[in-house]
Amino acid sequence: MTEHWESMHARFKGGASLIVVMMLALAVESLAQDNKIQYPNMAPLEQYLMDRAAEIALARSAAPESLSRNATVLVLGRHGYETAVEGQNGFVCAVDRSWMLPYDDSEFWNPSVRLPLCQNPPAARSHLPLAFKTTELALAGLSKAEMFEGIKAAFDKKELPMPEHGSMCYMMSKQQNFGPKVGNADPHLMFWFPQTDHLDWGADAADSPVDVHEYSPQPMTEFSISVSRWSDGTAVRANQR
Amino acid sequence: MTRNQVARVAAALTFILILAFAAPRQMAGQDNKTPYPSMAPLEQYLIPDRDAEITLARSAAPETISRDATVLVLGRHGYETAVDGKNGFVCLVEREWTAPFDDPGFWNPKNRSPICLNPPAVRSILPITLKRTEVVLAGKSKAQMEEWTKAAFANKELPTTLEPGAMSYMMSKDAYLTDQGSHNLAHLMFYVPLMDKANWGADLPHSPVILLQTGPPEPFTLFIVPVGEWSDGSSAPVPR
Repeated sequence: MTEHWESMHARFKGGASLIVVMMLALAVESLAQDNKIQYPNMAPLEQYLMDRAAEIALARSAAPESLSRNATVLVLGRHGYETAVEGQNGFVCAVDRSWMLPYDDSEFWNPSVRLPLCQNPPAARSHLPLAFKTTELALAGLSKAEMFEGIKAAFDKKELPMPEHGSMCYMMSKQQNFGPKVGNADPHLMFWFPQTDHLDWGADAADSPVDVHEYSPQPMTEFSISVSRWSDGTAVRANQR
Repeated sequence: MTRNQVARVAAALTFILILAFAAPRQMAGQDNKTPYPSMAPLEQYLIPDRDAEITLARSAAPETISRDATVLVLGRHGYETAVDGKNGFVCLVEREWTAPFDDPGFWNPKNRSPICLNPPAVRSILPITLKRTEVVLAGKSKAQMEEWTKAAFANKELPTTLEPGAMSYMMSKDAYLTDQGSHNLAHLMFYVPLMDKANWGADLPHSPVILLQTGPPEPFTLFIVPVGEWSDGSSAPVPR
């Protein structure tokens, strides 16, 4: 009986040790994956492109239909954004790709990222050129570091404008995808200002609905405010916040 | 709150009450009535407990912002500084007379509109509120005030340019903004150079942006965006 128990105990100890070793190995592997840059370079261009009709619909979903149905719609082609629909209300809707994320974002080259936004007329004049220029550099095959330098130089030489007063955009699409870490986030509005304005909106304070972002090398301040409904009018569930 | 502010906020509140699309026309009809034809006795506009007014003013923004803000309270001759702040924000409880002159609620003594203005709004917007309040408390008639306002903008006694990025918080759970609906709405306000409301997609179905007011003579257009939380972090109703 004792021998049997000792044998069982030894086998149990052996099994437990094996489980502990396996769990440790899994944890280490998981950590290693977290630290690994999943998207170190640009994926093949095809992975960033979309069906044209689907891209138009996705772009328009950034804002309520009452607004986006009269907006200009851009789609991404092999050489940059192209006008797919001429609008009448001065808004421009498009789907940003991952390279519009901050340069230190691990999703920078994630080809599944889709960021529909509808920019108002002041933003279409003064902020949209940044998306065009960044996309141009990405599609030209530049590295992230080269893109950073290219955008910095464009701002330094004033080839890219500063945001006009009143520049803002809608990002209220249920289908927006910021990548696996953020998912589709909240529906929100964004507001742009020259960084030199040194604005204080009480952003990032506890219980403030305002977030602030400054993405080097862009000399701009971006505020975002979460809203409670998606562009189709459906409510954001409390547990999504 | 201006007349348009009141109308828009009331419309938003009315949406909550599921009066939906009939609301704006109903509101317009109510505008023709004059429930408050003249100024009530001053005491009705004052908050006797100074600490209560400070607390109410601060409740416009999350405590992390308002605790370091300057706080103004309404006295018999105008707003007075009750607390000197250090973050550039100014919190106060506005009364209804900041509304346009044809606002039927212009003299509504029940109105309590706590607001915290950010530094650009303190420089561009607050002087308008303070000056108008002084004129009201000096006993001027509405007609005299209207004349004075036009002259003050023309003579540049009031700011004629708007600093970029002017905004304010109106997230107090204890505000009384309008006689309509539940009287309140948690929202942020954005002051932009004069522009058509279409530039922000305001007032369209499902748009979270509402036009509240546009000049001239005020050198700005004012939009609001309702938010889903009161300043204390609790959930606030949002219009459909």
